[in-house]
Amino acid sequence: MKQLLIVLEPVIWFMFGQGIMIGTILLTGWLIVVGVGVPMGIFPADALAYERMHMLGSNVIGRVVLLGLIVLPLWKGAHHLRSLAVDFGGGDRDAIVGSLLYLIAIVGSLLGIVAVIRL
Amino acid sequence: MSDVQIKKFVVTRFDPDKDEVPRTDTFEVPCQSDWMVLDALNFIKDQLDGSLSYRWSCRMAVCGSCGMNVDGAPTLTCKSPLSSYGDTVEVTPLSNFPVIRDLVVELDGFMEKLKAVKPWIIRAKEKAVEEGPYRQSPEELEDFKQFSLCINCMLCYAACPVVGNEPDFIGPAAIALGYRYNLDSRDEGASERNAIFRGEGSVYSCSFANECSEVCPENVDPAAAINQAKLSGLVDWAASLVLPRGGKD
Repeated sequence: MKQLLIVLEPVIWFMFGQGIMIGTILLTGWLIVVGVGVPMGIFPADALAYERMHMLGSNVIGRVVLLGLIVLPLWKGAHHLRSLAVDFGGGDRDAIVGSLLYLIAIVGSLLGIVAVIRL
Repeated sequence: MSDVQIKKFVVTRFDPDKDEVPRTDTFEVPCQSDWMVLDALNFIKDQLDGSLSYRWSCRMAVCGSCGMNVDGAPTLTCKSPLSSYGDTVEVTPLSNFPVIRDLVVELDGFMEKLKAVKPWIIRAKEKAVEEGPYRQSPEELEDFKQFSLCINCMLCYAACPVVGNEPDFIGPAAIALGYRYNLDSRDEGASERNAIFRGEGSVYSCSFANECSEVCPENVDPAAAINQAKLSGLVDWAASLVLPRGGKD
């Protein structure tokens, strides 16, 4: 298992890195819109109306963006939690903990794919 | 004659033949205002206790021998003015290394890692001498020059939290010195090194705490080398899946 994690490490790092980018840039913008802009009336209240959002998210580009927003932070979270576990002295169990966390990310990613296809 | 100030030095001592665990000795040193930390250690060695062991050589931040923890921070002692410290200065050996004696640490592990990343020019086929030298433009030199300035002082290993947790991690200096050759226009061994960077103790263990670059006395920025090596390793790995010869040059 440890050897498999070493082999897959480049692609895990790539997903993790993209998850950080999504988390720090796009989700920050999303929070500004949802948490500040709309409540303060900077953006019209119907900016996030279901019909508008559905139209935005149901074309091909929208589905890909939504998939990225769902999947990449899952990998970021899994990798961060794995690093956290190692930092807290879990180095001996890294292969098990890492595999379990990435398995959760894989399951979440598959569910995300199903969700955007069915949108 | 510059001003003299008495400072107290609390120095780690360890004699493997006598001591079970490290202990500390305290020395009062009349420090001149223009002294570096290393000058005070030399005063202790020359005037107070000749048995104090530590490494030093050039006194001009070139040889990288005199790295120690000063007040807990990895420091090149020949480059650190005593005026930056308080009345009491604590000097301990570099963290994350076995201690041989007093302030001298064991570097064999690092030397093995350095050798493993092949820090030399690899060519598929050497040119014959009569074909002349390998030419390189100033721009090509700039690509890797920064990473070649490492003086192997080991401050980055002492500062790195990943080295502390994962002793197999190749580590900042060795990655910077290996990756330096990946950027060298004369080199053809990037794939070999990338495979090593992706293997046991891989570059992907780095959690980008950036402490290595913070403490580097030569501004090598090993954290940048590690991140570039991660991307390079990823591209090489992806290429190895789709190209017949893998990611080989």
